[in-house]
Amino acid sequence: MIRNLLSWLDDRTGYREILHEALFERVPGGARWRYVWGSTLVFTFSVQVITGLFLWTAYSSSAQTAWESVYYIQNEMTFGWLVRGLHHFTAQAMVILMAIHLVQVIIDGAYKAPREVNFWLGLILMQIVLGLSLTGYLLPWDQKGYYATKVATKIMGATPIIGVQLQQLVQGGSEYGHHTLTRFFAMHAGLLPGALIAFLGLHIYVFRRHGLTVKDPNHAPDTMFWPDQVLKDGVACLAVLALVLGLAIWKGAELSPPANPSESYAAARPEWYFLFLFRFLKFEFIEHFGLAFGAIYLPGLIMLMIGAMPLIGRTARGHRFNVNFTWALSIGIGVLTLMAFSEDGSDEAHQAAIHEAHRDAIRIQELAGGPNKIPVSGAVTLLREDPFTQGPRLFAKHCSSCHQYNGHNGRGRLVYETRDGKQQVALPTALDLGNFGSSEWMRAVVVDYSKHFAPLKNAPWFKAAKPDDEILDPDESEMADWSGDAESLRSDENKQNVEALVAFLVASAGYKDPPKNNLVARGQRLAVDGDWAGAINGTSCADCHSTIGQAFTPVADDDADEAPNLSGYGSAAWLKDFISNPGAAQHYGSKNQMPAYGKRMTSEELELLVRWLVGDYTPTLVEPYEERRAPGTAASVAK
Amino acid sequence: MFDETPLIDGAGSEPEEEPRDEETLEENSDEAEMMPESDEVAHEDRSRRDFMTQILAGSIGAIVGLVPFVAGLVFFLDPLFREKRAVDEEGTGSQSGVAKDSQGYIKLPVTRSALPIGGSPQLVTIKDDLVDAWNKFPNVPIGTVWLRRLASGEVIAFNTICPHLGCSVEYRGSQQDFYCPCHLSAFKLDGQKNNPIPPRDMDRLEIKADTGDEIWVQFRNFRGGISEKVAT
Repeated sequence: MIRNLLSWLDDRTGYREILHEALFERVPGGARWRYVWGSTLVFTFSVQVITGLFLWTAYSSSAQTAWESVYYIQNEMTFGWLVRGLHHFTAQAMVILMAIHLVQVIIDGAYKAPREVNFWLGLILMQIVLGLSLTGYLLPWDQKGYYATKVATKIMGATPIIGVQLQQLVQGGSEYGHHTLTRFFAMHAGLLPGALIAFLGLHIYVFRRHGLTVKDPNHAPDTMFWPDQVLKDGVACLAVLALVLGLAIWKGAELSPPANPSESYAAARPEWYFLFLFRFLKFEFIEHFGLAFGAIYLPGLIMLMIGAMPLIGRTARGHRFNVNFTWALSIGIGVLTLMAFSEDGSDEAHQAAIHEAHRDAIRIQELAGGPNKIPVSGAVTLLREDPFTQGPRLFAKHCSSCHQYNGHNGRGRLVYETRDGKQQVALPTALDLGNFGSSEWMRAVVVDYSKHFAPLKNAPWFKAAKPDDEILDPDESEMADWSGDAESLRSDENKQNVEALVAFLVASAGYKDPPKNNLVARGQRLAVDGDWAGAINGTSCADCHSTIGQAFTPVADDDADEAPNLSGYGSAAWLKDFISNPGAAQHYGSKNQMPAYGKRMTSEELELLVRWLVGDYTPTLVEPYEERRAPGTAASVAK
Repeated sequence: MFDETPLIDGAGSEPEEEPRDEETLEENSDEAEMMPESDEVAHEDRSRRDFMTQILAGSIGAIVGLVPFVAGLVFFLDPLFREKRAVDEEGTGSQSGVAKDSQGYIKLPVTRSALPIGGSPQLVTIKDDLVDAWNKFPNVPIGTVWLRRLASGEVIAFNTICPHLGCSVEYRGSQQDFYCPCHLSAFKLDGQKNNPIPPRDMDRLEIKADTGDEIWVQFRNFRGGISEKVAT
């Protein structure tokens, strides 16, 4: 019955002949592992078509939805991580397999007559695959793909004569935007795969016309493609699949933070198999010749050399030359790739940028996965409006030239300066704000004032000050005297009192360390009434800081004390007012040396910075940056 | 039933004499003579090995093809594994200003006293937080209801979606009924179907009791085309 049905079908379609043609290709010298590469390429392409079509059902190509839909595929959809992982890593496997295939074809002389045309078809296929990988890299619209692809399109723009127009056409405008994505997507999912299928068809047709290039016809008895060679091909494909599957499961396809045109990505690199070209373009002598030379003419020339191999191969030592050229090229590519990797590995700035991108990637997943999901304006706004993300950046930009944060610049990096003719870790010229508002900080202000404020003595304004100048001197002030009164303040009888005052100060700042409520009231009495034991009895904070103990209220210039306004000291309201204008009469007045940031930052930026400082953001699992105190320099003071 | 025309068969019709299966292969190929295994044991051995090779090659081929396909298929079937699309998963919507209680009743922007007693139906838009894949739209229209205040003072609400095939049911003042312009379903003002086109009456929505002048509606959509009222 089935046999009849199949016969009927064959009569109408002739499928048996086609199948027969496909399966019973003669393999002289027997099936061999060295013939599997072409088949693995067909296999990987099939995997890309299958996974690509499925991904297409969930991908949305616009600047506000591309990253978001990929995030959703990766994190929310059933098996999304797997399908994307397969697509991601198979793409890379394809490039490697393609390189192996090409090198083998050259070594075995398979490009020689009568197979020249098929060799050229293969080179066209290679260009298409590279095009697919380039266009696919941009589609997630993440920082990595965005900035790497910008370089590629910029290179396009360096093409002689038509460069500018070419770049605009590819980008869909003079800048990146919705149409960059729609165009790249159309190329990636339509134009290029279509072309690939067409050329692959020709490639296989011509291959079958001339048959295998047999390495050694006497290696083993002749056999047929089915089943001996198919089995070997299948095992090779299985190995490729296992590798790709393993990478998808244990490594996972990366999704870096959403593309942010307003924040450059210092760690932007092309996909690793283009790294050699990236590194090559960094050579000074290459740069000297201009971008078009290094990125277009020279690679073009190399492609031309490869393309000319069938012709070169006809000459006496042509084949030898081709093989040597291939080896030289492979070694060059390998060396350049290794160079790029090792240079990046030892580049602190590059590693820091990668580290930060990784933190942002985790953070954006926390925010996007939150109850409010992603706003219509796109995931990038979640990061832009997140104090935990923006605070450190604002700190590094505006504050870190004087202040440090746990010994770093807020973004985990040491601050350097040139001192004594050498590049070294900068001495802070203002306080380290890493523990601002904590009991450690408050206790230091109370009992260790001079030492706590000592970094000010590194500041140029301090060193340049004349004896009569009104400045903030950590050693010479009423506060320094009071705090330095070791016998009274640090005596056993005041020990409990100091703890109470610290608890009160921490509570009025209101965000660090669990509040010790039982001590706060006592602390407030000490601050306001000076209810101390011993010699300092009767001296209260309120003697000088008259508004201490009240919620923060800005004070009019006329009402300001000589001493800084400590109402709500360290709280978000206090911080915002202080940072806006530290030279106001109620803060440091004429003694102030810090710039007024109310005029240097927008109010949104100030808000983000303050909310970060006081820890007012949705909780995160991202680890804080490690404390970084270079030995001997931490809070040390130049003699 | 099927034509019994002879097969266009490889072995017979092709000049190259390409063999059609492993047995003919062995007879036809050049190396058959070169091979020492002319006795039957060796021959059987070889056939068995070829058979195993075929099975193995076929299975491996199936595995490498199926893995990406099955993974993709499961991915594609994701909507079936997903909880039905929630209008507001948290049920409160308080952050966006939607007044919604724990049972999903949403406060309407109209009051009981504003509705004419026994008067014509009023069309009211329902707003809630809408979750769409990765986005959440706070406080946006998610549907409309027809509201009527009966002579008894009771307020009733109908989802405006026609239970037939999902068009919007309109109020027809001239006939004092609801009708659907798509397929001409018609309903009385109490929601009862007035012709055989719709499979069931209009979908009445729960209204919360004892809310004073306020009106709170439990907004739901229902499957179309069937006689039972099943929430989607």
